[in-house]
Amino acid sequence: MATPSKTPPGADPKQLERTGTVREIGSQAVWSLSSCKPGFGVDQLRDDNLETYWQSDGSQPHLVNIQFRRKTTVKMLCIYADYKSDESYTPSKISVRVGNNFHNLQEVRQLEMVEPSGWIHISLLDGANSPIRTFMIQVAVLANHQNGRDTHMRQIKIYTPVEDSSMGKFPRCTTVDFMMYRTIR
Amino acid sequence: MTVLQEPVQAAVWQALNHYAYMDAVFLAERLYAEVGSEEALYLLATCYFRSGKAYKAYRLLKTHTCSTPQCRYLLAKCCVDLSKLAEGEQVLTGGVLNKQKSQDDIITEFGDSASFTLSLLGHIYCKTDRVAKGSECFQRSLNLNPFLWSPFQSLCHLGEKLDPEQIFRLSSLHIPLAPPPPISPAQNPSHRLDTALMETPQDTLELNRLNLESSNGKLTSDSTVSYIDSSLISPDPGSLLANTVSMGSTGSLLGKQNKPKSGRSLLGGPAALSPLTPSFGILPLDPSPGDPTYLQNYSGSLDTQQTAPSKKSVSRIGQSKSVFSQSGNGREVLPIPFSQSQSSAPHSSTTPQVLSPTLVAPPNIQPRRSTRLFTSASSTAKENSKKLKMKFPTKIPNRKTKCKAAKTSNSNLNESLDILKLDSSMNDSKSLTTPGYQSISLQRAATDMVLSMLRELGRGYQALCCYNCQDAINILSSVPAHHYNTGWVLTHIGRAYFELAEYTQAERVFSEVRRIEAYRVEGMEIYSTTLWHLQKDVALSALSKDLTDMDRLCPQAWCVAGNCFSLQQEHDIAIKFFQRAIQVDPGFAYAYTLLGHEFALTEELDRALACFRNAIRVNNRHYNAWYGLGMIYYKQEKFSLAEIHFKKALSINPQSSVMLCHIGVVQHALKKSESALETLNKAISIDPKNPLCKFHRASILFANDKYKAALQELEELKQIVPKESLVYFLIGKVYKKLGQTHLALMNFSWAMDLDPKGANNQIKEAIDKRYLPEDEEPVTEDFLYDSAADVEESSMTDADDSQLHTAESDDVL
Repeated sequence: MATPSKTPPGADPKQLERTGTVREIGSQAVWSLSSCKPGFGVDQLRDDNLETYWQSDGSQPHLVNIQFRRKTTVKMLCIYADYKSDESYTPSKISVRVGNNFHNLQEVRQLEMVEPSGWIHISLLDGANSPIRTFMIQVAVLANHQNGRDTHMRQIKIYTPVEDSSMGKFPRCTTVDFMMYRTIR
Repeated sequence: MTVLQEPVQAAVWQALNHYAYMDAVFLAERLYAEVGSEEALYLLATCYFRSGKAYKAYRLLKTHTCSTPQCRYLLAKCCVDLSKLAEGEQVLTGGVLNKQKSQDDIITEFGDSASFTLSLLGHIYCKTDRVAKGSECFQRSLNLNPFLWSPFQSLCHLGEKLDPEQIFRLSSLHIPLAPPPPISPAQNPSHRLDTALMETPQDTLELNRLNLESSNGKLTSDSTVSYIDSSLISPDPGSLLANTVSMGSTGSLLGKQNKPKSGRSLLGGPAALSPLTPSFGILPLDPSPGDPTYLQNYSGSLDTQQTAPSKKSVSRIGQSKSVFSQSGNGREVLPIPFSQSQSSAPHSSTTPQVLSPTLVAPPNIQPRRSTRLFTSASSTAKENSKKLKMKFPTKIPNRKTKCKAAKTSNSNLNESLDILKLDSSMNDSKSLTTPGYQSISLQRAATDMVLSMLRELGRGYQALCCYNCQDAINILSSVPAHHYNTGWVLTHIGRAYFELAEYTQAERVFSEVRRIEAYRVEGMEIYSTTLWHLQKDVALSALSKDLTDMDRLCPQAWCVAGNCFSLQQEHDIAIKFFQRAIQVDPGFAYAYTLLGHEFALTEELDRALACFRNAIRVNNRHYNAWYGLGMIYYKQEKFSLAEIHFKKALSINPQSSVMLCHIGVVQHALKKSESALETLNKAISIDPKNPLCKFHRASILFANDKYKAALQELEELKQIVPKESLVYFLIGKVYKKLGQTHLALMNFSWAMDLDPKGANNQIKEAIDKRYLPEDEEPVTEDFLYDSAADVEESSMTDADDSQLHTAESDDVL
């Protein structure tokens, strides 16, 4: 069996944000974890700092629950994982489930990572290739590298597509000349 | 007791004029403890206020009774600065609940400071939602003192239609009714030159009182006029003239140096001028005082050299001396001021020290001089001159030549024009031999210059506030070059371009402002929005850094910072900065508007609505906020509400093509396609350069199945904006509808080229679905619109991203 190739890192989601096509909406959600070590919880997961991380402290699967106030369009999920610093704590199999509440979740993506070393982009598209609309997302860590029990997750970001509806149902303009006249600021 | 006060008061004023606030406060406190009079109280409160501690002045004045108008004015000013508007109003007018004084009462009570008092009162009324009363106060204030810009500005902001021609004019009405204007010709130009330091309300009061007396005398009959003139002229013609000469020579800023010596104080009691009196109409008699810039330069030079002015004054006295000798008044000029001052009845000047090399005018001379000023300024000038003629058959030419000879290097066209004017006016009335009268006519010319400048700027500003932007640009561009190249004028021209949506022009003008006046913050928020529209992020971040480093307490700097981060799509940080701008100045409407836009971009529509409403609360005519509300309602698909708000914004700013475009889109959404087309036609006629109007017109035509017209429109648009993928996308759709699939494909592929990111999802779908039957098209289109939200400016990272995504998903699955 050939050695599976390492998962290449994706681009920094900040770059994506700057294009204005997506927007980070983690702040609109309530985050909860299945378990965590004191001092290594949700805050460290959402603090925009790649040095701090969430460390789980229970049995697998480890869960990150993201609940929105209203049904939200979600396009992409970005997870930062680094095998070099986390070794056996690095997640290797991740399942993403969506639904209305805890009892209503259905898996939409499952991915396996091999020695990741950066941002992993998980795009959440439904059957018609459009971003899913959901109340809740659950990220489950099913397995870690080297069969580790607990997992480290350094950062998670969740993105919604930006709809520019200020000028009718048209896609965004591309040139400055158009954009100048788009809005009165 | 009175005698004891004056040296101390003089010392305090000197300290104040030298910005040594600690010294001034210390001495004033001792004086107040010693004397406890209302004069001293006022002096102490002034020291506190000028040192920036309005709360100290406020508490001091509150705890002690203040009955004099100056004290009450200062107390009201402190109240307004501390946002205690009701209290301020009560101080000035007797409050909302008690019987209020009418504005006429206020005018008579406050005398000279009535114009400022009314301006302050107008400000209070406007802030407390009594706009009609406020604007009335502003009008009266302007009537009293046409040199005040802030009431005019406030009136423009309220949307009042004013006539700058009428406002910035010294009418003869001014002179009899209210003392200030007579003083103003002489006073205010120098006020404009000097800082507020030079001004003491007591002096104005005193002068005005005397003026009032004399002007009241004037009112009665011409004989009074002649009486005044004769009283001015006959007894001590030489001395008076000498005094005026000396006064003229000292220039406004010399008073500073005179301060400790003149030692007169003025508060209700015996009239005594504070050392700052030189601001009263002491204009140099040197050539071309009619040129305000010259005046500026002159006083500037006076500032710098203490000895020079004295030399000048001495030289001028020499000149006048010779004039006198010609006219037969062989009196010694120099000692006379001394004697005059000491003989002046109501004033107690201390010592001849008072009139050391830098001369100060004895107060009794000044009022009379001022009467002469306003007599010259008034329509009765000619009569006066005739009377003067009788008294002074001396020659003018000498004066003229001396004027010309003494001309400094500040010559410019205006100056020479003024000289010519003066020459002609001097030629007309031969009586203008007396240096005093000459100074008056020169000052009159100066004030005319100033007022004509104010009229021009007023017209331009008025046009801008009514959003007649092209007119405003024309008017403001036609001011003389040395005024044009100043921050104020250029900023407003830049703003006019901004309102016309000519952002490149606006950017050019604003960068000029930055070059000329790097310290200017007013108007920088408009500059930042211009850069935001043009997407010049480097310039914007540089501007933001500069301004926040320079002044952390001005809202404009934080607005610029917020715009900078908004352009970088970091909306949370932008929100933080806009909130900071609001914290710094809750009365800055634009900060609320920008915050509202940021909330709208982060889809927090309720908070956005609240922000826009706040902006409207602060400034009812802030059309951007009305537009913002309309935009939010449009996003929420409340189209009729959106239309109402857009129309309200349009009523404020009728020439905005972007606004009309939006209204057109909304009307189309409301299914009123004909009116939508009409609106868009109007928008295009106003501003043919707006591509979005054409685009929307094309899309409406397309929606109404007028494919040929739509195509024509789009073809034109293609010429204007060749790189816009939306255009090709729409053309492609039109061709698809027309069944010309190859052309549609061609255009879709062009659109894809111009915008690869969006093309991946949306246009591919458009291509793939081309074989679907017609009835499925709407679904397709909606679907396209949804995924089309991904369409964005192409960037390499995005392309990489998408490749990586696909790579990853391949790996995973």
